[in-house]
Amino acid sequence: MSIPLKNPVAALDKAPSFSTRSRNVKIASYVVLSIFSIFYIWPLFMLVNTALRPLTEYLRDPAGLATNPSLANFADAWELANFPQYMLNSAIYTVTATAIFVATSLFVAFPIARGYFKGSGAILTLYVVALFLPPALIPQFQLILNLGLFNTRPGFIMLFLINPIGMIILVNYMKSIPRELDESAAVDGSSYTRFVFSVIFPLIRPAVATVTVLHAIGIWNELILPTIYLTNQDLYPITRGLIVFEGVYGSNWPGIAAAVLMLMLPILVLFMFLQRYIIGGLTAGAVKG
Amino acid sequence: MKHQRRVWTTLFVVFALVLAACGSDSTESTDAGTATTGAGSAEEVTLRVLAHQNPTFVAYMEDFNSRFQAANPGVTVAMTVVGQGDMASAINTRTSANDVDVIDFCAGSCSAFSNGILDYMGDNYGEKPVWQQLIEAGLLMDLTDEPFVANFDEIAIRDAGTFNDRVYALPMGRVTYSGMFVNNDLLAEVGVAIPATWSDLVSACEAIKDSGNECMTVGGGDTWPIFVGASGLLGSIFPDQAALAEGLWAGDIKWNEGKGLEAVEKFQVFSTEMLESGVTGLGHDEATARYAGGDVAFMPTGMWQAPNLESFEPTFDWTYVPFPGSDTVADNEYLWGKYDMSWMVAADTPHPDVAMAYLAALADTTEYQTYLDAVGFLPTQPTASLNSKLGDAVADLVPAYRVGLEQYWVSPSGAGQWADGRQAAAWFAPFNEWTDSTELANQIQADLDAGLSG
Amino acid sequence: MAIMQKNYLFGSAGKWRRLTPLMLLIPGVFLYLLIALGPSLATSVYSFTDASGLRGAAVNWIGLDNYREFLFEGLASRDNIDATLRTLRFSVLVTFIQFTLGLILALLLNQKLKGRTFFRTLFFIPVILGVVIQGLMWKLFLQPRGGPMATIFDWFGTQSEFLGGLPGQAFNWVIVVQIWANVGVTMVIFLAGMQTISEDLYEAARIDGADGWQLFKSITWPQLTPAINTNFLLNIIGSLQAWQLFLVLIGYKPGTQVLGYLVYAEGFGQGESPAFRQGFAAAASIVLFLLVLVIGFAANRYVSWREDRYMA
Repeated sequence: MSIPLKNPVAALDKAPSFSTRSRNVKIASYVVLSIFSIFYIWPLFMLVNTALRPLTEYLRDPAGLATNPSLANFADAWELANFPQYMLNSAIYTVTATAIFVATSLFVAFPIARGYFKGSGAILTLYVVALFLPPALIPQFQLILNLGLFNTRPGFIMLFLINPIGMIILVNYMKSIPRELDESAAVDGSSYTRFVFSVIFPLIRPAVATVTVLHAIGIWNELILPTIYLTNQDLYPITRGLIVFEGVYGSNWPGIAAAVLMLMLPILVLFMFLQRYIIGGLTAGAVKG
Repeated sequence: MKHQRRVWTTLFVVFALVLAACGSDSTESTDAGTATTGAGSAEEVTLRVLAHQNPTFVAYMEDFNSRFQAANPGVTVAMTVVGQGDMASAINTRTSANDVDVIDFCAGSCSAFSNGILDYMGDNYGEKPVWQQLIEAGLLMDLTDEPFVANFDEIAIRDAGTFNDRVYALPMGRVTYSGMFVNNDLLAEVGVAIPATWSDLVSACEAIKDSGNECMTVGGGDTWPIFVGASGLLGSIFPDQAALAEGLWAGDIKWNEGKGLEAVEKFQVFSTEMLESGVTGLGHDEATARYAGGDVAFMPTGMWQAPNLESFEPTFDWTYVPFPGSDTVADNEYLWGKYDMSWMVAADTPHPDVAMAYLAALADTTEYQTYLDAVGFLPTQPTASLNSKLGDAVADLVPAYRVGLEQYWVSPSGAGQWADGRQAAAWFAPFNEWTDSTELANQIQADLDAGLSG
Repeated sequence: MAIMQKNYLFGSAGKWRRLTPLMLLIPGVFLYLLIALGPSLATSVYSFTDASGLRGAAVNWIGLDNYREFLFEGLASRDNIDATLRTLRFSVLVTFIQFTLGLILALLLNQKLKGRTFFRTLFFIPVILGVVIQGLMWKLFLQPRGGPMATIFDWFGTQSEFLGGLPGQAFNWVIVVQIWANVGVTMVIFLAGMQTISEDLYEAARIDGADGWQLFKSITWPQLTPAINTNFLLNIIGSLQAWQLFLVLIGYKPGTQVLGYLVYAEGFGQGESPAFRQGFAAAASIVLFLLVLVIGFAANRYVSWREDRYMA
């Protein structure tokens, strides 16, 4: 017997009452988490610390504290690395490619997860094999070149329209959606597309959110492909701008630290926004029983 | 509710596609390039230049480009800057796409036409160098008959820009990496003279350490500064490194006998006794910062660190001298190094006249001096001179400049990872697992022999 | 239509309706074939040639010569085989530890704890920062003189050169950083998977008197099967192919290379004179691919077996 939940997200927050043993579990959890987070907070602190120092001070004592913390590196990065224009480019590439990828892969993952046609298992294997595939930089380059898309936005975006890892996450997640939903929707006379969009999509929000974030990060942080495929400065993503901090034998690490702290903010915001969806599915109690 | 979501999603995707389409309309793909009738013609020409990332060099180039554009109306220079590590890939893809006119050849270790396949190697090499592959694929323009080639030192052109008697590149500078920075004030304080022989160096180091200071520092954390710092040491033992390479291939010279073994043994003294402890934590630039603090007597590294050293405003007087690796003074008086960047032109450039004009402008003797003052290389034009503190320090030694083993060495196919004995200084503990120089020397020779016999 | 299985229920309204899933699937698969599979197949073909990858360079068919050189020639083969063994060791350790840690973190953070958003974001930040910054952070953290880890070691009375020291040591630290950097992804995938587990199941079991461990064993673990399978597969394969952290943290140090690093070095030039040997690099990468294929397939079979067992 199931209890239809009016507000599933809130239900997850409303924990059942616990005994003292559960409170101890909570305390233990905090302890473990705190110890673990030391190894995340400390290096992060060192990164921020590095970004606040001038290069000469950093080189004299890389692990030391900033003596005169200043935001000069951030200002420099903003200017020298051409942040506004390049960030916009990065945003265009990331948003476009992620949107197209998610939209197309939903319709690849679902039939595979349900086994709707013969050979869907083979297609999944094909994607799994893609994970193992060797890097194919030059042949891929020749493909894009022959399509006449070298040094263009669409050509660059094309490189990011696929993500075997994302596909596998989606397929596996979809397998946990009960098939009874299919039956009831078909009985109701729903069409395939409407079913996928309005029933399945909301149920797999955690997976879609996960895949979206991972895919976006992959595009946003990509270093090598822009160097190869985009020679027109107007098209540069923000990672290309970081080159001003490279030296011949060593780099301007404080500058890079400042630049990366700035350029990661949009993705951080995206993650914090999508977290809600990763942790707030609608399946709690909806169908079982 | 669900319907709304669907509408938003659709709008979103459409918006994204529109953005992408708009983006592509406003950019051009490869420059179609009208045929040029020469510099200063009324046609609009975009000259595409590929350069490597080096802050002082890039700043100089931006200035040069604006001057060139001013002197050649109708020409726009579009320069792309790429890191040295990505340069090889960039040259590959851009020549394939015919999207480049002038190329700054500074890929990987940035050493012009080095590590060529020589006769004594026969067929036993693994790979041809990049520049040779570019030439053999017909991707580089032959510069032999251009007038500006004569501005350059013949030896530089011959050794660093020529293949099969045709010139394909203009080598723009040399660097030396075999010397060491010397803290004169610290030496005076300890009461030691600048060592001119290996034994002098050994005893100087002891005296310095006894006085509570450190003898030497390098950027051990990056590994390569360790063996680059020992290159002067190797040069003192083998003053003809082209012959060294050939001898190793022929089997006349072995790393575990005679002078080869002497080199490995001295490498061990260098990296385990002379270098201060803690170099594993120092990057290349950080070592210079440390050195600028004044507690270390010597820093064996390349001359390129001189501007860096100055930027830390050291309070002591310093100079740059060859690393004395031998007890025969005369053997210690060479400067070992490599050629650095060089300019090339893509064979299929749609604007050969403009490209040549560009190169001519760069090669002009006055312009070259400006360039040299900016980047601080040793000159490859006989009319130029290095005007810097370091330049003054080494001026007398420049005639004794020789190209180091690194620029000749090609590993035979099948050689093991320990075959390049030149790097042995970086293989002793604490940097790697070796503690006995004879054992390491035997391993080096065994790894090399495996390739030579293959 | 014969191609559609019986469990496809939407096609009652006509032939086109029945083919809808197939038609909607084609764009995605086509893109994948074009952009990923195609070029990778080209790479395999390259591996039998001496291609340099340059336009205009002669390309000759040389059969298995590249493979012979990579696997059997002189002592280079010893180094390549050592790299392979190292890669396997790396993968086993990273997979096992990262998987376990990721699961623990997800379990901890699935509870109603104050600040769980903070923790989840914190552990995910390395993923957002990317490999270069992960490397920078840990090079700072592992400074042998005066760095935080050196200080911690000091409390325990030991010392280490960390990344600049002996190859074995340096290699182990890369394992640590690799796990640290990627456990966030494992955690997030597990967290997402936990959302499909109905609270009712836990309620019922608690009423029956089950304790924490039993709840985990009989409800959480089986219900997480898809997420377990995903993480298992992704971890193994990702760790077999990883090399960028090695480049950033250690650079070129004999005794530390893994296969992914060798493939990168051969193809894109590491060493005195960067050369283009696309053919050879392709062969090296196919060797890595075959290794991953064998292990990945075994993993995939295991994963399917678990699925059949738990998800029927």
